[in-house]
Amino acid sequence: MEPEVGAGPVTEGGSPAVEGGRPPVEEGDPPAATEDRQTTRRSFLRWLGGLTIVTTAAMVLTPVVGFLIPSKNGASAGGGKVLVGTTADIPAGSGKVVAMGSKPAIVVNTEQGVKAFSAICTHLGCVVAFNDMVGAIQCPCHDGRFNPATGVVVSGPPPAPLPPITVSVEGDQIYLTEA
Amino acid sequence: MAATPGAPTGGKATGWLDQRTRIGPLLAASLHVRIPMSAKTYYFGGIALFLFGIQAATGTLLALYYKPTPEAAYESVQFITSDVSFGWLIRSVHHWAANLMILFVILHLVRVFMQAAYKYPRELTWVFGSLLLMLTLAFGFTGYLLPWDQLAYWATVVGTEIAGSVPIIGESLLLLLRGGTDVTGDTMTRFFGIHVLVLPIATAGLLVVHLVLVHQLGLANPKRPEPRVTTPEIEKEPQRPFFPHYIIDELMAWYVLLAILVVLASVFPAGLEEQANPLQTPAHTKPEWYYLGVYQLLKVIPWKVIGIMVPIVGVALLVVWPFLDRNPEVVMRRRKIAVGGATVVIVGLIAFTIWGYVS
Repeated sequence: MEPEVGAGPVTEGGSPAVEGGRPPVEEGDPPAATEDRQTTRRSFLRWLGGLTIVTTAAMVLTPVVGFLIPSKNGASAGGGKVLVGTTADIPAGSGKVVAMGSKPAIVVNTEQGVKAFSAICTHLGCVVAFNDMVGAIQCPCHDGRFNPATGVVVSGPPPAPLPPITVSVEGDQIYLTEA
Repeated sequence: MAATPGAPTGGKATGWLDQRTRIGPLLAASLHVRIPMSAKTYYFGGIALFLFGIQAATGTLLALYYKPTPEAAYESVQFITSDVSFGWLIRSVHHWAANLMILFVILHLVRVFMQAAYKYPRELTWVFGSLLLMLTLAFGFTGYLLPWDQLAYWATVVGTEIAGSVPIIGESLLLLLRGGTDVTGDTMTRFFGIHVLVLPIATAGLLVVHLVLVHQLGLANPKRPEPRVTTPEIEKEPQRPFFPHYIIDELMAWYVLLAILVVLASVFPAGLEEQANPLQTPAHTKPEWYYLGVYQLLKVIPWKVIGIMVPIVGVALLVVWPFLDRNPEVVMRRRKIAVGGATVVIVGLIAFTIWGYVS
């Protein structure tokens, strides 16, 4: 059997050594006090060992976990005002999906003017398109339909309307502004 | 010691695990061995192993953000360094651990050579160890290109050009390394694949063999040759337990090294030159320090073929050295030729490295 860690120093002959020059226990000493002192020392060392392991783990895991959390900059759409086309590209009664940074947006030329919404369906994240046959924005995945002028749900499973995007027409050019 | 089925030792968790894996006897056989008191490893091999672990961990993390194409690689390294939380730290630790790993593998090799630990019965341990040194150098070479900056690009151009000058197989070797006639995106994907797949798998495999051999044969005694027949006197030689005594010393060495790594990474973070430009070679293109000796040799030897063949022959000699050295002695003063020759080679390499650095 190998000696255990923390079992105390052992001399080459195998007999226990006097720890740190501490005198041997006198006959008159109360045995309980000696045991307490030894237990305290060992438990302190154990506590110190445990603390070392925990702090080392924290020291190593902090940068690793921090590294794994994606940076918001990486997924950024860019922001600002984005030119998405001209009114000639989207005639009245039609719509078009355009890229706004890294995210899709849908621009629809309705009777109430040019409107724009996020093109991500609020149901399960598919990209919607304008269906001129039914006159609505339609999701190809589960046939969710949205009003092209307001973005509200007309039929199907989507739980919420499409988020609107600020649109401005300058001359014949259509700009979207990210909130 | 070894736990028998149904009667596990240790705490509740250990017992639970042992009942379901029967791993107790295997662990006991691995850990409860004794090593000669006179064995002095200086923990170099263990530290190299620790650094390989650091490289595997930080390399895996870097691969989550790195994009191995010429168009995106440079920006992805910039992104890791500037935008990802602790990205600079992970990248710099990877950079420094690579350098330190090469240093400690070389120190380990020198220690084993000087103590003649490659002699009977450890010849194969040496062979696998020297192959591991080559894989470590290959890690450095393939990883160097990945940031796709000017230094990386031109060091790879020169390095592969040197490989292309090897007699007979040079041209094929150049095409094989570059994935074409020039260093391009094909070279990058090739180096990336080798760096993150081929080399780690090969290194892990060789490491397992190397460590199993070390375990089976034990540590060499630097004071006397390994006996072919054990005698009672030899059995009485003072020994100490590998576990926990040696392991605790080794863990302390790892802990100190981890601190050194973090300090180096913080004070001297990994740099990034300008993006690679295949139309403009920067002034003073030099390889990393571990290739500087060979680089300088090629500069000063007028015959290119000889300059290339010297390191190749040197490496081949290194691998088969245990089978060439027939002297049974292990003490240095009784191995004057081997130790003297090795000293000349080491001093020469250091001198050429310094010369290459300052020239």
